[in-house]
Amino acid sequence: MRTLPTICPSCNSRLRVKELLCEKCGTEVEGLYELPTLASLPEAEQQFVLQFVKASGSLKEMAKLLGLSYPTVRNRLDDIINRINGPDKNKNNSTGKEKQNESGNGN
Amino acid sequence: MNQEMVTDTGSDKLQLRQWLFNPFQFIAGGKALIIGVVIILVTSGLGSISNTHFDGVLDVHTGRAVPIWLFVAEGFINWLSLAAMLAIFGLLLRRFSFRMIDIFGTQALARWPHIITAIVTLAPGYQRYSAHISNKFLKTCPVAMPHQTDALFFALVLVVVICMAIWMVVLMYRAYSVSCNLKGAKAIGSFTAGLIIAELLSKLGILWLFTVYGSAI
Repeated sequence: MRTLPTICPSCNSRLRVKELLCEKCGTEVEGLYELPTLASLPEAEQQFVLQFVKASGSLKEMAKLLGLSYPTVRNRLDDIINRINGPDKNKNNSTGKEKQNESGNGN
Repeated sequence: MNQEMVTDTGSDKLQLRQWLFNPFQFIAGGKALIIGVVIILVTSGLGSISNTHFDGVLDVHTGRAVPIWLFVAEGFINWLSLAAMLAIFGLLLRRFSFRMIDIFGTQALARWPHIITAIVTLAPGYQRYSAHISNKFLKTCPVAMPHQTDALFFALVLVVVICMAIWMVVLMYRAYSVSCNLKGAKAIGSFTAGLIIAELLSKLGILWLFTVYGSAI
């Protein structure tokens, strides 16, 4: 399966959607649309978010599934939040709740 | 579901390198804390056999025979002073929240190369030459003359001790970086500052402990 390009190969700017097609009837829609936030993440991070949702948002469960430690998984999530929010909005707002819920002896 | 998982596990070689230099990707929290505390206790026990004192976060010296609890106390002072300093720096610099158990657990686990140090310093050749040097400089009670190969043994052990200290610092840094999600200059600068302060704190703590006990190392 071909991956959705999100960055311009020429100037590295973020790409936007210009045209959409209905495969069934051939209708084409033209315009200028932003890519959804998740679609603009690199594929590995999209997979991570998908797995995180499937794991009911549990970092402990994610750590178990990925065979990684809790802080490593949490750092990945923090990096994704950082990418989505931009670096300035993140201080102390990420996995605090998750941390409280799952505090104790994780690995 | 496992097939869909995105993992960082690449080749065996890469995994081995990660286990050697950044095991905290795989192990942290309570598990790291338990293993780390066991490592500190074992290191202290081995140190007490050869009178090897870990009298500072990074220090290793052959010294006097003292009760085993003093060796254990040295280990815990070293671990706690560095972990506490890095926790403070982590709190000051954090972008995101982190768990204290990760900092303290991974810092305890990062001390594992000291077990190798404690084992190599048990070598009789090292012990004889070390006692010979102490006797020469401190004019203490005379000991048996070292064998001809003891100097070589001593030098080899010193090389191993230095390598283990470097490895341990790498592990301590990685543990800090993973636990607090800090990278780059900020992580390196704060770790270096934390390490220097912790070294001073641990030295003072151990000095105080030995003064209270009424002995010198």
